[in-house]
Amino acid sequence: MKTIRAILFAALNCSLLTATAQTGAPYIHDPSTIVECDGKYYTFGTGGGGLISDDGWTWRSGGVRPGGGAAPDAMKIGKRYLVIYGATGGGLFGNHNGRILTMWNKTLDPESPHFKYTEAIEVASSDGMEDCDAIDPSLLLDPNTGRLWASYGTYWGSIRLIELDPKTGERVKGNVEQDIAIDCEATDLIYRDGWYYLLGTHGTCCDGVNSTYNIIVGRSRSVTGPYLDNVGRDMLKGGGRMVLAAGDRVTGPGHFGRTVIDEGVEIMSCHYEADFDMGGRSVLGIRPLLWKNGWPVAGDRFHEGTYAITSERRGYSLELAVNFTRIEQQRQNFRRIDPNEPIVPVPNQKLEDVIGTWPSGEIAVHCSDYMFRPHQHWTITPVAEAGGFLGGPYCKITIAGTERALAATKDLELNTVPQFTGSDEQLWRIEQLIDGTYRIMPKRIPGKKEINTRYVIYSAGDSTPTLAEYDFNSDNSKWNLKRQ
Amino acid sequence: MKTLNLMILLGFPLAITAQNPIIHNQFAADPTARVFNDKVYVYPSHDIIPPKPEPGQNGVRQDWFCMADYHVFSSENLTDWTDHGVILSQEDVQWGNPAGYSMWAPDCVEKNGKYYFYFPDGQKIGRGFGIGVATADSPVGPFTAEPEPIKGVSGIDPCVLLDNDGQAYIYWSGMGIRGAKLKDNMKEVDGELQAMQMPQRPGGNAPQGQTPPAFMVAGQQMEGLPDGFKEGPFVFRRGDWYYLTFPWVRGDTSNGANPTETLAYAMSKNPLGPWDFKGIIMAEHSNRCWTNHHSILEYKGQWYIFYHHNDYSPRDDKRRSPHIDKIAFNADGTIIEVKPTLRGVGVTPANSRIEIDRFSTKSDDVSILFNDTLNTFRGWHATLPSKTSWVRYNDVDFSSVNANGYLTVCVKANANTTLKVRERDAKGKVIAQVPINVVSQMGNFRRDMSGRWLTLTAPLLYLPKGISDICITGEGDSISVDWLQIKKRPEYFSSISSPTASPDEQGFIRRWMILEPIDNPEANSNLLFSFTYMQDNLANPAKLPKPLPNMPRDGQKVKHDKQSLTWHATESNTYNVRLFRFADLLQKATYRVCFWAVTTIECEEDIPNVRLAAGSNGASMWWVEPAEGKTAENDKPVLMLESDRRMVADDGMSNRLTLKKGRNIVRCAVVNGPGLSDFCVRFVDEKGKPVTKYTIKN
Repeated sequence: MKTIRAILFAALNCSLLTATAQTGAPYIHDPSTIVECDGKYYTFGTGGGGLISDDGWTWRSGGVRPGGGAAPDAMKIGKRYLVIYGATGGGLFGNHNGRILTMWNKTLDPESPHFKYTEAIEVASSDGMEDCDAIDPSLLLDPNTGRLWASYGTYWGSIRLIELDPKTGERVKGNVEQDIAIDCEATDLIYRDGWYYLLGTHGTCCDGVNSTYNIIVGRSRSVTGPYLDNVGRDMLKGGGRMVLAAGDRVTGPGHFGRTVIDEGVEIMSCHYEADFDMGGRSVLGIRPLLWKNGWPVAGDRFHEGTYAITSERRGYSLELAVNFTRIEQQRQNFRRIDPNEPIVPVPNQKLEDVIGTWPSGEIAVHCSDYMFRPHQHWTITPVAEAGGFLGGPYCKITIAGTERALAATKDLELNTVPQFTGSDEQLWRIEQLIDGTYRIMPKRIPGKKEINTRYVIYSAGDSTPTLAEYDFNSDNSKWNLKRQ
Repeated sequence: MKTLNLMILLGFPLAITAQNPIIHNQFAADPTARVFNDKVYVYPSHDIIPPKPEPGQNGVRQDWFCMADYHVFSSENLTDWTDHGVILSQEDVQWGNPAGYSMWAPDCVEKNGKYYFYFPDGQKIGRGFGIGVATADSPVGPFTAEPEPIKGVSGIDPCVLLDNDGQAYIYWSGMGIRGAKLKDNMKEVDGELQAMQMPQRPGGNAPQGQTPPAFMVAGQQMEGLPDGFKEGPFVFRRGDWYYLTFPWVRGDTSNGANPTETLAYAMSKNPLGPWDFKGIIMAEHSNRCWTNHHSILEYKGQWYIFYHHNDYSPRDDKRRSPHIDKIAFNADGTIIEVKPTLRGVGVTPANSRIEIDRFSTKSDDVSILFNDTLNTFRGWHATLPSKTSWVRYNDVDFSSVNANGYLTVCVKANANTTLKVRERDAKGKVIAQVPINVVSQMGNFRRDMSGRWLTLTAPLLYLPKGISDICITGEGDSISVDWLQIKKRPEYFSSISSPTASPDEQGFIRRWMILEPIDNPEANSNLLFSFTYMQDNLANPAKLPKPLPNMPRDGQKVKHDKQSLTWHATESNTYNVRLFRFADLLQKATYRVCFWAVTTIECEEDIPNVRLAAGSNGASMWWVEPAEGKTAENDKPVLMLESDRRMVADDGMSNRLTLKKGRNIVRCAVVNGPGLSDFCVRFVDEKGKPVTKYTIKN
């Protein structure tokens, strides 16, 4: 059995294919960590204001964050939202006076009657003479201790760590700021699995398509550092391991934020200094966040295209349950091969070679050895009017070259229908998991009212796919996508 | 990058540090100060805003004193106060009304390791105030109240004197000022109780024509005190003299006049009098805050008076805050009248925020106003309206800062002007001069910060020695100042004291001869520094400063274009050499410049197969060449770090090279646009481990 593993980290040159970007008007710089509030998603940017999305895919302006300045962050603590921001913008020629402030709101929805920020209070500052410019703050609520930390600073001097009171958002009395890195911008602190991670942005910002901005990371067993990179170099000496750089027609990723959607399902938010497909504008980026040997790595932007979908359980391919059509081949006795005879390549089996043998109505799906045959190739296409979820659009999954679409059934099984109709059981949410595999879930189970967030395509047996509850700890929930 | 926009700090004033009042986050009245274990503890009453009544209830009076619990505060320097939190609440007193809000002025004394806390409270049953005792093993509690109030002590404002012979006396205010001996247990008065008639008050509770009931009273009336309303007795002993001090209304109360309280005193050779009235300690508050209530103690050889004033509640004198001022005595034991100050007491370190609005003295035209009238706890600021205005603040300790330090100040102005901070008085030597540019124009970008709080900095021109006074003056236009602070700067470099040095443990070379920065006005952005730019400008002999000696001397001068530049021997205190701070400390240009640095390393033998490992902010170029036998080949740069660089250790490496036996010259040029320019460099071996077997000779 040949195991087929998708190559997950390869940089794909897909300039001819449609990259799936956030839709709507996702124009922002330095987006704060995406926060959900009453079913909507919010992120705030530099200069005030922010983006709102009803589904996590289509964004519009309209977020309200007073105070101006650079690079805010936001977090839900208890029933309230804490917003931290730098009131200034960093500067040149002597003006590195910065101030970090926090404020609370009961909701992030500016339409809500409860929407009202508390008065902003200063938690840190730089006076312009220090080797620090107090802008670009981020928040970390330590899940082990319940203590609230903030990092701030920019390329001008050091990145500093302070402790805040999670009840008031004020600086903890007597807390002395501590240097944890140098020469970063837009830092962010996260915690995972015994490690604290400090993410920063290196390179050149604000230079459009030529911006070299890139997101780097160091990690530490203690929130106070030292934060070391993968070669053991301290971030206080400029160390950092790459998380995301330019590629795939976007340049200048900056201002990391991590959002955990489900166990093993994480995204990172950032902005791209320039999205070539969006006229070089600075836009919100959302990428799958992967973890590789204890290091965060950005997953790829998902592209529409034709894929083999193979199970993580056995490596079998998701395919139509139709007869396997043999390819006719002039076989030679290997002992009589004439080495001087020219090689004639064998053509791939084509759709038209086999489609006539398939039934015309609904066809079941199953899993089997991957043989790169037409009944094993699925075209995945975002459906514009179907909306999306946090980080991706709903897609149809059709047999390449046909409109035959994968569908969920009301009894939690799979089949295909001859024609894609746009109904919810034919729309799929595809998310890359932290280990690089994917989970694939129908938008709705027929007969159910609610949008489905539980049932995914699942290996009941090696050959038998079904729909079952997502379980990150089982390879039955996971699939690999290999572009054809 | 190095964003090119010009921003400025919008400062908001914050109330910090001590001075008067000494407590900044809550009201606190009637401060009784005591020394326990060489520390001062203040036991005030705790004024609060009266809770609003429940709908349909009368609730508590909204315009009256309201106190539900006690805090205690401690300090070792009388300026930094620690709040130890609630030590007793009205719910904790069995005999008290749990919703009486009548926990008025208390006292606390220590005897045989036990702390006795005396407090008045409204009675649960009956009318009037009782005085109770609560005990604890620590001055900060927790205190446990006795189940009954002290028998025979009805009233308020208890004060306990522990005399030198161990005898304790209690004084209180209730139908005049009374005093009594306390028993050894500190919880009962010594002696017979007397029956006394409650005086008939107009509109009192007793039915017309009936005599009010008698009740039992301990101790004796203090004799020899003047007429007029008296309360709040505080008795202390100094030498042979006992002092009975008390708030006293001395004014004429006829014709509906409502004079307010002074602090007054009487003296006696006996703890229970009779007393000889001496006069005033402190006059009435000038703003008609009706009450004053005080305590007096000696601490580290100095006598202090603690009293109160309604600083944070200017329109409601039932919400008060504690003050401290020094108090002194004449040779005959009488007290010199105290003029209350805002400055208060204690030495203020120059590196803490100096609240200049808590001045010692000022010119008459200077006004002191709240930073935020809606939240008065945010403190005050001083406004200097004219050129002749000044504000003086005494006892600033400058030993906490160094001459490299700088002034930071929170100011507000409506036009461009200058603030001067001087030593001592309005004509004193200038410590720092702060240009306040609220309106400026840079290209198309107009900035108007008039009327907004700004935090500005300025270098120190002069550093007073030890403890001295400061005085701020304006230059014409009005300036408001909230606070100022002198900050220390890191010691980025050391002076060179030995002829040789070694690389540090990680191999970084810290000792360099650095040339003052060469102006490079075109370098607005680090994006300029392409390969071509670096080749054309830094590796081009025609553009280098001349002479570029192999090894310059400290103080050697060179000419470059129109600049006269000096080489400086420097030793960095950190692994990286902070070029920006090198220039800054010399008050040279820091942005849009090019730095040259050279050092000599001497090897006892050839060290082959090493690499020069460097990082720089911004772009840089590096040379390594033997001091003798220079060739065209080894005159080539060994490493170039081009473009918009951040300083990253081991960012770039040279090809493998050999450090020659004898002296080798290591030279670099670093160009800076808008960054905090620095570099770090070391030699590493094949495995990336630092090479340190050489001597640095500069």
